[in-house]
Amino acid sequence: MDPVLIKIALGGVATLACIGLFFGIGLAMAAQKFHVEPDPKVEEVLHTLAGAQ
Amino acid sequence: MNGLRRYQWLMGILLVAFLLTGCETGHEFVKKTEFKDDDKIVVTFAGPVEEAWATDLSNFSAYEKPDPDIKLQIKDATLSSDQTTLILTFEAPLNQGEPHILSMTDIMSEGQNLGPATVTAKKLYFGILMTIFLGAALVQNFVFTKYLGLCVFFGTSQRRGTAIGMGVVFTIVMVFAAMMAWALYQFVLKPYQLTFLNIVVFIGLVSLSVQGVDTILRKVNPALFKAFGVYLVLVIANCIAIAVPLMLADNEYNGWESLMLAAGAGLGFLLALFLMACVRERLELGNVPPTFRGLPIAFVTAGLFALAFLGFSGLSIY
Repeated sequence: MDPVLIKIALGGVATLACIGLFFGIGLAMAAQKFHVEPDPKVEEVLHTLAGAQ
Repeated sequence: MNGLRRYQWLMGILLVAFLLTGCETGHEFVKKTEFKDDDKIVVTFAGPVEEAWATDLSNFSAYEKPDPDIKLQIKDATLSSDQTTLILTFEAPLNQGEPHILSMTDIMSEGQNLGPATVTAKKLYFGILMTIFLGAALVQNFVFTKYLGLCVFFGTSQRRGTAIGMGVVFTIVMVFAAMMAWALYQFVLKPYQLTFLNIVVFIGLVSLSVQGVDTILRKVNPALFKAFGVYLVLVIANCIAIAVPLMLADNEYNGWESLMLAAGAGLGFLLALFLMACVRERLELGNVPPTFRGLPIAFVTAGLFALAFLGFSGLSIY
């Protein structure tokens, strides 16, 4: 196969992996920074209700 | 204090306007190049040029920026009496939506040869931006003329409140995602020759921006999150959100143009949802035949709206 194509393909894999890693870490950090404690009462109330819908 | 702040604001706005409208020319002796009427380009020089040079048509050649091979026929060149303004008349009306490149051979001024010049005539940049914005919002409304995003459109247009909520959330996410898509396309995908991965990357970007807005909004403004949180997930399933990044990549838009396209698409979607919700609220009270109740009559209404939006197709303000 044409070495140029192989280069592009491998470069693509590497680039997309980098993009994914970058944004993944970004999202993880945002999730940590903007963490909200879920209210346990919400879960309890939902559990008690019939919850057909 | 108040006065000072207002002054700063004014300066800021002026600066932005200056940057947006600032015209650039390729030669220091050419002050201005602009369109006039349908078929004229006016070139203003910094000083007088020689009449023999200016009226010789073979000194000039012009083409539309996307088609350098197609030279435009120049019919006439007239120099003003003070010899600083040259009016070039073309055989056919110019397509002023595109920038025009005008090349001149050695400019002769008072016996001096000032070298060749290549200058660009284009409409005010602000006008181009507004054209993109209005085009995306009205003329080529994504819902009514491109038939995109229909699932979310019919799903959330039953109540006016829901429609506005969905439209606003969609506009915010759209602008956010489109700006990221533009940056990623111009600075990563294009340099690495990976433009064939456009769709994969843009789908990821849309979900990423939805997740990001979700996370941040939950903490920063819980009230807003409560009101709009439901629609955030729906944005992922909206095909307009993927169409806009693909369009801005196809058309090679720059940052400002991408912003305008995204804002136009968002507001156009909001407008479509709101109009549709108004009609559907009234339809529930109307005497609709049983076969048509619900979605069928909604599709008929959408078709009528699409016909009405055809009326915008000749719209050109700038």
